[in-house]
Amino acid sequence: MSGEGTDILTISGLHAGYGAGDILKGIEATVRRGRVVAIIGPNGSGKSTLIKTLVGLLAVRQGQIVLDGESMNALNAPARVRAGMSYVPQEYNVFRNLTVLENLKIAREFMTVRTATRSSNPLDDELLALFPELPAKFGMLAGNLSGGQRQMLAFACALTVHPKILLLDEPSAGLSPKYIADIFATVRKVNARGVSIFMVEQNATEALRIADTCIVMANGRVRMTAPASELLAMPDLRSLYLGDAREEAA
Amino acid sequence: MLQTAFNGLVTGIIVTLPALAITLLFGVLKFPNFAVGSMMTLAAYMVFALNVQLGVPLAVSTAIVAVAFGGLLIGVDYLTFRPLRERGSITLMVASLGLGFILENIARLAYGNTARSFAIELARPFRFFDIRMNREQMITIVVSTLAMLAMYVLLTRMPIGRAMRAVADNPALALVRGIESPRVIRWTWFIAGILLAVGGVLIGMDRALEPPMGSNYLITVFAAAILGGLGSPLGAFVGALIIGIISELATFVIPPNYRIGIPLCVIAMILIFRPQGLFGQPYIRK
Repeated sequence: MSGEGTDILTISGLHAGYGAGDILKGIEATVRRGRVVAIIGPNGSGKSTLIKTLVGLLAVRQGQIVLDGESMNALNAPARVRAGMSYVPQEYNVFRNLTVLENLKIAREFMTVRTATRSSNPLDDELLALFPELPAKFGMLAGNLSGGQRQMLAFACALTVHPKILLLDEPSAGLSPKYIADIFATVRKVNARGVSIFMVEQNATEALRIADTCIVMANGRVRMTAPASELLAMPDLRSLYLGDAREEAA
Repeated sequence: MLQTAFNGLVTGIIVTLPALAITLLFGVLKFPNFAVGSMMTLAAYMVFALNVQLGVPLAVSTAIVAVAFGGLLIGVDYLTFRPLRERGSITLMVASLGLGFILENIARLAYGNTARSFAIELARPFRFFDIRMNREQMITIVVSTLAMLAMYVLLTRMPIGRAMRAVADNPALALVRGIESPRVIRWTWFIAGILLAVGGVLIGMDRALEPPMGSNYLITVFAAAILGGLGSPLGAFVGALIIGIISELATFVIPPNYRIGIPLCVIAMILIFRPQGLFGQPYIRK
């Protein structure tokens, strides 16, 4: 199962939603080990619903979610985290009334399987290299950090567990341009360490620059799956990206 | 004046433990639990049974009942609140009112309406500068302070305490940070049970054991928790001290019988001018 080229995450025939109707109507997608997959699509296309269903915040009504050969369907959200699925939500992604250090400690204490070798160090050398500015802020309440710093802390928490796949919900949403560049640079560095990434993103151009594969969603379905470079080369990317919504509305 | 302020301080300190229990339960379960008063009553009567009827020393009885009561509340939650968990906070609050009636009347059924007291020997009041304090007041101060310190260590230094604060802060994020909320909920009831049992005994020592003893404190306890900011443990502590001292000092201006109006006024003022309380976070609806 290990090694390049195999699938780390397979989603097949996935249906999920709130209330009576399904928002996701048969999603099919795969993430190859070590790759970055970007999900783009207009508002209301079901991108966030998809990611919430993957991490276990929303029940699967039909279909399969398989992580590294293991079905995730029967696992609750905490169990999926321990199985190797780490998630950075879009907003409210840190515990604001807890300090930076406490946020990191919680990640280490609860996201990993309890073992004798579990280190008590909240940031190992690898994470320290990625987030060198965090130790100086250990004592601060996470709610007092700037938006970009909070996002970095959320990343650090999610990576504490050395996940098999990192799921990101709009990592650049609401950030200033300076931090947007930092966030995408961080995503790139994380991926360079071998972590597969599944990312929902509004900022399509930026997302496509770092993604290997792009999935375009509209109305709860996958409209297109293509290499990111191909989509990026399309001169009418924007109209394609928004066009689906207009076409569906018509 | 100093004596009155000291008496108020002790009244406030008595309220710290139940106020902390309310705030922990509210933080994790997101509903105001109006059964806490009767829970204290029931625990106090359980201690009475051990202490007076079986002759076990008060401290030992309290320790035994506190742990047992923590376990009992896990069972009560399993039967009462867990089936209603998805129905929203109003349903849970109404259920807690009903539960309060039941628990208080279990105590009434078992021991009647007669006021009773624990088996403690009378001791001469002790003088410290110009303040006269009796032994029960000193026990209250020492026990509550130790309990608050223990809670501080639990909430800030231990994984389960951090998990409780995390669930109170952001339940959805807690799930994806690997925190199993049912486990956190069980711990919260267990700790609340200990706090309420000890609080019940302190009230029983200060006044007398009678069925409405706990619910008489309900408004004061809620005022303390709301003043401090529901969900904030530090707030519950500070809120309780402020309410205690203000209520007691108010007797210089208003007749003592109207003292109970003070916490009600505090609740009203806080809800109008600073709904999140002194230490609470403004509620953000997403």
